[in-house]
Amino acid sequence: MKNIQQIILFSFLLLLNSCIVQFIPETDEDKELLVVEGLITDQPGANTVKLSKSLPLGRKYVAKPLKGCIVKISDDLGNTYSLKETVAGTYVTDPAKFQGIIGRWYTLHINTNIAYNNLNYESFPMELRPVPPIDSIYYEKKIIKEKDVGSQAVEGCQIYLNTHDPANYCKFYRWEYSETWEFRLPYTPYTVPNNVCWISNNSDRINIKSTSVLEEDRINRYPLNFISNMTDRLNVKYSILVNQYSLNEDEYLYWEKLQNISEQVGGLYDIIPAAIPSNIWCIEDLNEKVLGYFSVSASSSKRIFIKDHFSGLINLYTDCPADTIVGSGPIPNLNISVWVIIDNPLPPPPTRVITYNKGCADCSVRGTTKKPIFWGDDK
Amino acid sequence: MKLKIHILILIFSLTCNLEAQEKYKISWDYKDLSFKEFVTKAESLFAVKFFYKDEWVNDLKLADYPGCMSLPCVMENLLRGTSLYYYIDDSGNIVITRSYAVKISNALIEKENNFIPPTDYPDSGENQQMIGNAFVEVGNPAERYKPGKVIISGYITNRDTKEPVPGVTVFIQKLSTGTISNEYGFYTLTLPRGIHLLQFSFIGMREKKFNLNLNGTGEMNVEMNSMLIPLKETVVSAQKNMTLQRFEVGAEKINITSFRLLPTSMGESDIIKSVLLIPGVQSVGEGSAGFNVRGGSADQNLILLYGAPVYNSSHFFGFFSAVNSDIIKDVTLYKGGIPSRYGGRISSVLDITSKEGNRKEFAGNAGISPITTHLMVEGPLIKDTLTYLLTARTTYSNWIFSLIDNASLRRSRASFYDFNGKITYDLNKNNKIDFSSYYSHDAFRFNSDTVYSYDNNIFVLKWRHFFNSRFFSALSINNSLYNYDISSQDIATEAFVLSHKINSTGLKADFNWFQGRNEINFGVDLNKYTIMPGSYLPASDSSLVIPHIIEKERAWEGALYIDDKFILTNFMSINVGIRMSTFYSLGPGSVMIYDPEYSKSRSTIIDTLNFKSGEVSSRYTGPELRMSLNFRVNDKSSFKINYNRTRQYLHLLSNSTSISPTDTWKLSDYYLKPQVGDQFAIGFYKMLFKNSFETSAELYYKEIKNMVDFKGGTRLIMDEKIEKDIINVKGKAYGLELIFKKTEGKVRYSIGYTYARIFIKSLGNFSEEMINSGKWFPANFDKPNDLVVTFNYLFSRRFSFSSNYTWSTGRPITYPVATYQINDKILVHYSDRNKYRIPDYSRLDLSFKVSGNLKSRRIAHPNWTFSVYNLLGRQNVYSIYFKKEGELIKGYKLSVFGRAIPSVTFSFDF
Repeated sequence: MKNIQQIILFSFLLLLNSCIVQFIPETDEDKELLVVEGLITDQPGANTVKLSKSLPLGRKYVAKPLKGCIVKISDDLGNTYSLKETVAGTYVTDPAKFQGIIGRWYTLHINTNIAYNNLNYESFPMELRPVPPIDSIYYEKKIIKEKDVGSQAVEGCQIYLNTHDPANYCKFYRWEYSETWEFRLPYTPYTVPNNVCWISNNSDRINIKSTSVLEEDRINRYPLNFISNMTDRLNVKYSILVNQYSLNEDEYLYWEKLQNISEQVGGLYDIIPAAIPSNIWCIEDLNEKVLGYFSVSASSSKRIFIKDHFSGLINLYTDCPADTIVGSGPIPNLNISVWVIIDNPLPPPPTRVITYNKGCADCSVRGTTKKPIFWGDDK
Repeated sequence: MKLKIHILILIFSLTCNLEAQEKYKISWDYKDLSFKEFVTKAESLFAVKFFYKDEWVNDLKLADYPGCMSLPCVMENLLRGTSLYYYIDDSGNIVITRSYAVKISNALIEKENNFIPPTDYPDSGENQQMIGNAFVEVGNPAERYKPGKVIISGYITNRDTKEPVPGVTVFIQKLSTGTISNEYGFYTLTLPRGIHLLQFSFIGMREKKFNLNLNGTGEMNVEMNSMLIPLKETVVSAQKNMTLQRFEVGAEKINITSFRLLPTSMGESDIIKSVLLIPGVQSVGEGSAGFNVRGGSADQNLILLYGAPVYNSSHFFGFFSAVNSDIIKDVTLYKGGIPSRYGGRISSVLDITSKEGNRKEFAGNAGISPITTHLMVEGPLIKDTLTYLLTARTTYSNWIFSLIDNASLRRSRASFYDFNGKITYDLNKNNKIDFSSYYSHDAFRFNSDTVYSYDNNIFVLKWRHFFNSRFFSALSINNSLYNYDISSQDIATEAFVLSHKINSTGLKADFNWFQGRNEINFGVDLNKYTIMPGSYLPASDSSLVIPHIIEKERAWEGALYIDDKFILTNFMSINVGIRMSTFYSLGPGSVMIYDPEYSKSRSTIIDTLNFKSGEVSSRYTGPELRMSLNFRVNDKSSFKINYNRTRQYLHLLSNSTSISPTDTWKLSDYYLKPQVGDQFAIGFYKMLFKNSFETSAELYYKEIKNMVDFKGGTRLIMDEKIEKDIINVKGKAYGLELIFKKTEGKVRYSIGYTYARIFIKSLGNFSEEMINSGKWFPANFDKPNDLVVTFNYLFSRRFSFSSNYTWSTGRPITYPVATYQINDKILVHYSDRNKYRIPDYSRLDLSFKVSGNLKSRRIAHPNWTFSVYNLLGRQNVYSIYFKKEGELIKGYKLSVFGRAIPSVTFSFDF
C-alpha cells in the first residue's frame, strides 16, 4: 500500500515536471557504532557472528571488522560456548561442540576487549523456532518492453516462492538467498584461457513476510527476486539457493522497521526514519546504540536452476574492442595494460583485436573459474 | 420586532448663534442665486458643508435680504416660510432639515461632552458616493438631551440578493469606535448621542456612509450594494478597522477578493494556499495536505464547512483543497483567541461560510482550467424566500495520463469531483432555515488493480431564530462522514479491501444576546463520533485474507460555553469566556492492561478489561478558558492580550512528515489522553498615514500536552492496539508575527514576517519510548523564518496584476549518518530526529487578470486569468530521500515544481 501511494504521488509529480537532483547532505557525525550480525541455526556446521564498526555516510562501503573480541553464546540450560575468531571480525562456533536445537533459548555475549573501549554487550534470550520446508521456488518471464518494429521484446525473470506451515506456527518468515550464475566472454573460439566463470552474490534486500493476517499459514507467489535484462545472470545458467527462517514477532518487527526506513525514506508520506532498536544492548551504557540483530532460527533451504532463453538481454562486453592491430608484431604492454580478445591468424595478414579492459579478456576479474560443486554437468 | 428607522425627518434651529454670524460673513452678491449655487459658493469660501436633500431645495431661490451679511442670517431669511430648517454645528456642518428643527444648547453639549459633531470631510468627491448626502435620524428626538450613551443596532443585507452580510465593518472614525456585523448581518454599537458619520464597509461591497443623528436607542438597517465587477472592489479597506476592533489576537479574515486575485497553481484558486500566506501558517511542503498554525500539527486545525467538520480537506494528496472556492462567502482563520463557541481542536479554526443563493434572479458562473472545470448556479425558487445554490467541479486529468509515453503510467487514473448544494428558506421574518450538503470523491489507480479512493460527505440543517432584535439563536444538526478504501486484486490469494471510516453527528445550539454594553454568547455543542479504525477484508472468493476488523470506537463529546464581550470604557473592552468540554468513550470494547515495568508491547499485556455496549470506558472533562482584552491606545492603535485553552479529543494518527491519505482518525481512549493547548498572545496594531497602512505585531507562547508520536519505524495501518506504538510527547511553541500592509489605492502590498519555533519532547520512561533521548527537538514543521510579500496593482476595473513571494527556512529532516553491513546488505543508520534541515524555500508567483466587457446587460461576463507559478523556476526541495545504488547510499532531492508553471483559467459569470 505504501508503494502505491509513493508511486501515485511520484507519477503525478512527473506530470508536473518535477525534478530529481542528486544531493549530498552535510552532517557532522562520525561516531563508529558496533554492528552485530549473528545467526544461529539448527543446521550442522559452524554458526557465525560478525562484528564490525559502522562507517560515516557518503563513503563507499568498506567493511571495518572488529578484531580481538571475546564472543560467547549461552543457552537456557546454562551451557556456554565460546566462539573463535577465524577471519578478522568473524567469530564462529565449533561445529563439533555446538549445534542449535529447536526449542532452546540462546543469548549472545560480547566483550569488545581493548579493540572497542572494553565494553560488554548482551542480547535478549532468543528461542530457536522450527521452520517448515520451502514448498517450491519457480520463475516466470516478465515482459519489460513489448516487441516492437525493429526491436525484439525485452524480458526479465521474476522468481517466486511458495511455502506453508501445516502446524500454523511459523507466522513470520524471512528469506536469504544466494545467487550463482555462469557467464562467458563472447570471443570464442579465439580467446584467452579464462573464458567461462561463475559469480556468486548474496541477497541485498530484506525479504520478510507475515501470514498473521492470512487465514492459513500459507504464502503463495512471494516475489523473491526479479532479474532484469541489464545483467548477464540469465545468459547461460543461473541458480538461486534460498534459506528460509522462522522469526518471532519482535525480530519480524525489527526487519520490517529496517525495511521501512532503509528502502523507502525521505518522501513526505514515508515513515519518519529513526534508529531501530536492536536486541543487543551495551551493559555499561544503556544509551549506546547497537546496530544489527542476533537471530536465532531453524533453517530450511531449496535451490533451483534457470536455464532458459530470455530475449533482449544486455551484452556487457560491447565496449570491449578498443582497436584492431594488423600484422603480427609485438604489442607493447601486452597483458599489462593491453589484452588481446580476438586473434585472427587467417586469412593473412593476421589481425588482433585488443582491449584496455582486463575484464574483457579474463573472466576471472569478475568471477571465479572454479565451477561450483553443485553446478552439474550440463553444457 | 419594532424597526424604527426614521430617515430624513430632521431638526432645525431658528437661532443663529453669534459666533456663526461673525465666522461666516458674506461679502458677495447672493441675489437670485439658486440654493445650490449658493451652497457651492459658500462651500468654496468657508469651511462648511451642507447636508440636504435635492428635492427640498430645487425651487429655492435667494432674494435680497438687506443688511443680512452672514451665512446664518441668509439661511434664516431664505428658509423662513418654508418647512425647512437648518442647523450649523461647530465644525461647519450645515444640516438642512424639514418639518423639524434642531434645538441645541451649547452649554449642555460642553458640560456632558457627549455630543460629538459629525466628521468634516475635506474630499467632496467622496461625498458623491454617499446616499444623497443624507441624514439618518435614529431614536426619539425628545430624548436627545438625555445624558448617557445609547445603542444603535440593525441588520446589514445585500441589496441584490437580500442575504445578510456578516463581517461588515461599521466604523466611526472620529470616535475610533466600531464593530463588525455578526453572522446574521446584525450589528450593534454603543455611542454617545449626536451626529456621527457611520461608515459601512465590506470586501466586495461599495462602502456606505451615513450621517447619523442619534437621539436615542434605535435601529438602522442598511442595504449594501455588491460591486458588479470584482476588480474594482475596495479590497482591503474593509479589513483595516477590523484589526483594531476585533477582540481576538490572531483572527484573520481572508479577503475573498484578493484571494481571487492570487496567482493560482495549475489554474485552481485554492483557499488553503491563501491561508498559507497568513503569518503564522505554514506547510511542510508544496502539495502537501494540511497546514500548521503556530506550531500546531495539521490535525489540530478545525476546518468547518457550513459549520460541520471536514476530515480531509484536500484533493489529489493535497495539491488542491477540497472546498470549491465558488461557494465561499468568507473565511476566517482563528490562529489564537479562538471564540468559546468553537472547540475540539487545539491550534486553529478555519471557518468557511458559504454563500446563499441569489434571492432575486438566476445567476451562475462556469470556468475551465488545465486541470478542472466547474459550474455554479444560483437563484430563487420563490423570490426573496426560497433560494438555491449548486456547484459542481470535476477534474479531467485522466487525459493527461493517456498522453504519457510510458505503458505503466498510461494505465493510471487519478480523478476527483465535488458537489455543493445549499437551500435557504425564510419561513418568516424571524425564522430562517437552510440545508447544506457537500460531497467529494477522489480515486486513484496506478498501473495495477490497486484502487485507492476517499470520500467526504457532509449534511447540515440549520434553523436560525430571532427572538427579538438583540437575541438570536441558531440551531444546527450536522453529519460529516469521511472514509477511504484501498483495494487490490494484484495477487489473487491476497486480494483485499482495506477501509477506514469516521462519522460524526453534531448538534449545536448557539445563542447571541446583545444587552447594553454586553454581547453574550452561549450555547451547547454535542458530538457523537463513530470510528471504524480499519477493516481488512478479502476482496474475492479466492483470497486467503482473513477478515480482520478492528473494534469500532464510539464516543460522545459535549460542551457548554458562555462568553461575554463587554465594553468597559471607550478605550477598553474585554471578552471572557469559558467552555466546559467533556468526553465519554463508550463500549463495547476491550482495553489491554500492560505491565508497567516494561514498554507497552504485545508481550507485556497482563490483563484485559472488557466494556459492555454503552459502558463508559474512559472519560475526560475540563474547562477551557478563553480571555482577551482589547485596549485602544488612541484612534490609530490598539493593544490586545489574549489567553486561551483548548482541548482536543480526536487525533489523526500520522507517522509521516505530511498528512498522508492513509492516516487514520483516533478518539481519545483509556490510554490516549486529550491534547490540551495553552496559548498566551499579545498584539499591537497601528494604522499609519491616514489609515492607508496597517501594521501589527503579535507575540505568542504556546504549550501543548499529550501530543502523539510513534516508536521508530512503526506502521499504523491496521494496528490493533495503537497505544503500544504511541509515545506521549509535549510541545512548546513561540513566535513573533509582523505585518505591514498598504491597503488602499491602486497599488497595494503587504509584507508579513514570522519568526516561529516549535519543539517537542518525548515523555516515555523506556528507551523505546524516547526520541532523541528525551531531549527537546524541533518538530517536523518547525520553520523559524517565514517571509511573505504580496503585491497587487489594479490597472483599471478590467485589468489587474497580482504577485506573491514566499521565503522560508527549510523544514527539519532526519539524515542518515552512518552505513553498516548486515548479511551483505548495506544499511543506514539515522541521526537524531530532525537534526538537520532541507534547504530554504523560495517562490515567486504572478497573475494577470482580465475581465471582459463591463456592460452590465451583457449575458455573460468573461474573465481570463493568466498565472505563472514559481516564476523563477527555483527547484525548491520537496523532499530529500536516500537510495542505495550499488555500494553507495546516494541522497536525492525532489522538487515538485522544478520550473515555472504557467496556466490559463477562463470563467464567465451569467
